[in-house]
Amino acid sequence: MADYKKEYEAVIVKREMLNDDTAYITVKCPDIANSAMPGQFVNISCSKFLKRPFGIADVDTVNGTFNIGVKVVGKGTKEIAAFDEGKVVTVLGPLGNGFDFEALRGKKLILVAGGTGVFPIHFASSYCKANNIEYKLVQGFRNASQVIMSDDDVILTTDAGDAGIHGNCCNGLDTIDEEFVKEAVLCCVGPLPMMRACGNWATSKGIKSFVSMEQRMACGVGICLVCVCKVKAEANGEEFKHVRCCKEGPVFPFEEVIW
Amino acid sequence: MNRISCKVGEVELNSPIILASGTCNFGHELSEFYDLSILGGISSKGLTVKPRQGNPGVRVAETACGMLNSVGLQNPGVDYFIENDLDYMNTLGCKVIVNVAGHSFEDYIEMVRKLNKYADKIDALEINLSCPNVKAGCMSVGSDASQVKEIVSLMRKETKLPLWIKLTPNVTDIKEIALAAQEGGADAVVMINTLLGMVIDIKTRRPILRNNTGGYSGPAVKPVAIRMVAECSNVLNIPIIGCGGIMSYEDVVEFMIAGASAVEIGTGSLVHPALPVEITADLEKYCEDNDINLSDLTGTLQLW
Repeated sequence: MADYKKEYEAVIVKREMLNDDTAYITVKCPDIANSAMPGQFVNISCSKFLKRPFGIADVDTVNGTFNIGVKVVGKGTKEIAAFDEGKVVTVLGPLGNGFDFEALRGKKLILVAGGTGVFPIHFASSYCKANNIEYKLVQGFRNASQVIMSDDDVILTTDAGDAGIHGNCCNGLDTIDEEFVKEAVLCCVGPLPMMRACGNWATSKGIKSFVSMEQRMACGVGICLVCVCKVKAEANGEEFKHVRCCKEGPVFPFEEVIW
Repeated sequence: MNRISCKVGEVELNSPIILASGTCNFGHELSEFYDLSILGGISSKGLTVKPRQGNPGVRVAETACGMLNSVGLQNPGVDYFIENDLDYMNTLGCKVIVNVAGHSFEDYIEMVRKLNKYADKIDALEINLSCPNVKAGCMSVGSDASQVKEIVSLMRKETKLPLWIKLTPNVTDIKEIALAAQEGGADAVVMINTLLGMVIDIKTRRPILRNNTGGYSGPAVKPVAIRMVAECSNVLNIPIIGCGGIMSYEDVVEFMIAGASAVEIGTGSLVHPALPVEITADLEKYCEDNDINLSDLTGTLQLW
């Protein structure tokens, strides 16, 4: 198959296992590496009927590669997490709207990650480093054995309390200096209850927040309308409207989402 | 004339490939992947009188060889479409087919009247008598031959635009329904829409789809569609547009042999957005290699 606009044949150049069920994969695709923004995702082919969506975890524009994290949740992700180096896959991307760094210019960032949200948030933190944006990073995991993509600068929390702060992401957020918080915007990717709690935390501090919504997807490019997120309707008399996670999202302002 | 051009009644297409309703929205998104002027046509998302937000999620369930959806006709409504999307569709360089889905006879008539005012921007109306994901209209009308004949003849009185009737496979005898559409004055039938199905999550013992059931599409349904096209081809005088699980040029050729004058690609676009580009090139090569015009194949099936 030839390359089309936004649809590429790409090679898996590296794969490492971060823990028993999570792989970190490097894919060679200069067009995606050069144009992707944090919060965007790619769709990757496997032997199943539909492609699988993954948040972009990092890019290397020098080598023309991007990274994804693959947690095994079903047969498709099991297969992708085991892809050999050298395997050629079909990739669509970059897809969706990520975090709007243009609109966030001049702000400090509070990045919060839970579950597989550590991957897109990792891209956001490396983007901040590369562009001299001040940020704090909070990660939440169930227990110490689940901790991945972490380092000494991270405000680490675990539900079990066997690593970092004992508690959830909000307990981690509470440790951030008030002065920093006042000038910050919060960007959060993780399970729904965690994103909701973090969004409410931001609202209680009087700052804006953005969340990355997830829903079962088919096409990933906005044509099938299956991956909808319920958001507040504009003033047209409707109670809500369905928007596409893959096209209008996955990143939405927290206050627009109906939880 | 190129080797893959074809005709559906009076509508001349430069390719047999039409993008199926509900798998291409109004063309904006797929234009990011390829130039839609290579297509024969594009059929709009199914429109209703009022905007619809559709069914709650989860709306998709994957199967071994296809998928189920329960979108439920989410669309911006016919007025918004006329104001915001119809002109755009006319810039794409292929035929513009507008898909209409009502909850009642009155809905269908109201929309046909509205769209009739823009007849110069519309090449055909595709009448959705087959969506399985809404409670009223659509499939409940489309599975009853007498109602099909009645609604088609009512619309026939309202417009000179070609009326293509999209049929549901969820019936005992599709020939009966297709004949009713023909008797009502249809210019063509499109078959098939999705098959009604269910997928169960064995952990929760609940259907994966929030709507419980959904429309099954993809390569798995192709033999059903081919059988129905072949059956109807024998009894109809009006052209058939074949639809269901097309993933390759061979699939298009199979539909043509079965009796289709043109085809629609739907779920294939969800898996591989630029699939029609590949199929178009392969069809051209196939016709060149075999020294035929594609439309010569229509209805050449020889049954045992």
